Amino acid sequence: MIVTDVFSLGVALMIPMLWAAYGETLIEKAGVLNVGIEGVMLIGAFAAALGVSKGGGIYAGLGFSIVAGVLCGSVLALLYVRLGTDQIVTGIMFNILAFGLTTTLADEILSATRVTAFSQYEIPLLSDIPFFGEVLFSQNVLVYAAFLAAPVVFYALHRTWYGLYARASSEYPRAAEAAGLDVWKLRYVAVVAGCVLTSVGGAALFSSSGGFVSGLTDGRGFIALAIVILARWNPYWIVAASLLFGVSEALQFQADRLGPLGDVPPDILVMIPYIVTILAVVLARASRYPPAVGLPYRPSAKAS
Amino acid sequence: MATPELVQPAPEETPRGVPSVVATVGSRRAALLRLLASLVATMAIFSALIVALGENPIDAFDAFWSGAFGNKFNVGQTLMIASLLACTGLAAAIPFQAHLWNVGGEGQLWFGAFASISLILILPDGMEGWLAITITVIGSIVAGAFWGFIPGILKATVNANEVITSLMLVFIAIALGDYAISKLFPSQSNSTESVPFDRLLPNIWEGTLVTAGALLALGAIIVAIVLMAGTSLGFQIRAVGLNSNTARISGMRTGRVTVAAFAIGGAFGGLAGAIAVLGINSALVAGFSANFGFLGIAVALVARLKPWWIVPSALLFAALRTGSSGLQAQTGISSTVGEILVTVFVILLLAFGVIRLRYAEATQ
Repeated sequence: MIVTDVFSLGVALMIPMLWAAYGETLIEKAGVLNVGIEGVMLIGAFAAALGVSKGGGIYAGLGFSIVAGVLCGSVLALLYVRLGTDQIVTGIMFNILAFGLTTTLADEILSATRVTAFSQYEIPLLSDIPFFGEVLFSQNVLVYAAFLAAPVVFYALHRTWYGLYARASSEYPRAAEAAGLDVWKLRYVAVVAGCVLTSVGGAALFSSSGGFVSGLTDGRGFIALAIVILARWNPYWIVAASLLFGVSEALQFQADRLGPLGDVPPDILVMIPYIVTILAVVLARASRYPPAVGLPYRPSAKAS
Repeated sequence: MATPELVQPAPEETPRGVPSVVATVGSRRAALLRLLASLVATMAIFSALIVALGENPIDAFDAFWSGAFGNKFNVGQTLMIASLLACTGLAAAIPFQAHLWNVGGEGQLWFGAFASISLILILPDGMEGWLAITITVIGSIVAGAFWGFIPGILKATVNANEVITSLMLVFIAIALGDYAISKLFPSQSNSTESVPFDRLLPNIWEGTLVTAGALLALGAIIVAIVLMAGTSLGFQIRAVGLNSNTARISGMRTGRVTVAAFAIGGAFGGLAGAIAVLGINSALVAGFSANFGFLGIAVALVARLKPWWIVPSALLFAALRTGSSGLQAQTGISSTVGEILVTVFVILLLAFGVIRLRYAEATQ
């Protein structure tokens, strides 16, 4: 069944963007705009490749990418939060840095890596359901983890004290500080945690593409930025929006079976997800960032 | 019945002393110290990286220098890369002055290059070389302007996030370029057919590969200086950047200014594409742009968004680029270390507060 195949592939392809979008949600809900998301994802993918090429298997790769996420998060938190640099410009520079760093290091230290994927697991009974069984319940463990993460992210943001405080610091940091909160600390935590999730997205991308190449992410991090806007910072909607992009990416791999789409040259089909992203940003025009997102905050208590 | 004119029309003359969007902080001496600190830190980080990659940093800097300025030929290469970076620098600087984040200069560069190769190969054979070149260059500028117009109009009409739209257009333009290489004008695996010899920009410096493209870039700088300092549109672009509400209240059509700033930025990016195709590569080559569009953002920031400062800034970054090619030739380290060096430098400039973006709206 062609529809089943497209959706099944779409679910697999949406996972890297889904993780990255969760990460970005955490960060933006604390008042920081991480345009460096693409670079964090790329470094996460590289770290996973490094773990695998050092003979550790894909789970060691996942561990490496989590560490890489903490490192990226610390550097970015220092820049975005403590030093208050412009977040868009810093993020773009970080992306090019990540491109240069991973490309240079891939030449030097990555050995030829085998194709490695996370363990596939068919959920008993559920995987027998027609369509949904194949699409949703015959995937790898990182896919299931990504779906289970939606309620976790939602809970963290909307049902915990941390989430409440963080959201306050993205809405009106001055008031949050007046209420006794440490805006910087809230943002540090969010940036580091968000970068870890983004980096895991990179690991997912590496495992599903079977090898690290220069510029592997190819805009998927930026697409995650759009997913977050389209889904209005709601983790459940993020799952739905990611599926849209996963499927639009899957189309190009199944195009020869999709009638007229098969005649379109592959270089043109590659554009579909990017065009869908632009349309998504246009359609989500009523969606507004939390007011303090993207603006550096200088606490009155820590005049420096 | 005509309604009385309540708002003042935009002043014809540009007032002097309007503060720029970007300003260094602190005294001149403190700024200099910060600049030195970021230079030293960049050198330290880069040396550490070179050592980690198993090379001697002294040799590496030597290879770097000779790659950038070692002989006449290399100086020429640096000049040509600087021409590209000057144009992509303008592509970022002018929208940035309006507080609009055109981070898609890379896409405008690629789309300009795509338009260049298409036009120059499609124009009839009998046409005079100079005429074909003129049409192609103008066509690329228009194409780049169109590629900048899209995020501009989306921003002005539906307030679509210009960072995301302009970045997405980068990937679409690169895909178009790949399409030209693989399907439209296929030749070798990684390049289109070559441009006929009489349709290339002429060489202007014997013994090097410097072409009239460098003059086009210089012309672009002059146009940008005149535009920003001597026209009402330039003034409006800066006014919108300083405070778009104030600009709107004083009667400026901020939507139009937004679209214009983006289209003008895109036009410079498109020109860079024409220079690359007609003046450097003689074809559309896969991966011809070593992130030149993105590095244009760095060029613009170091130039503090001032068109005339873009010349030295572009030369500096071009030297870092050709230097890293020299490093690659001697040590085998990938020339992408150039990207590392440049971005570490710019991030440290941001971190040390040498480059600080300041907006009326941001300082509530």
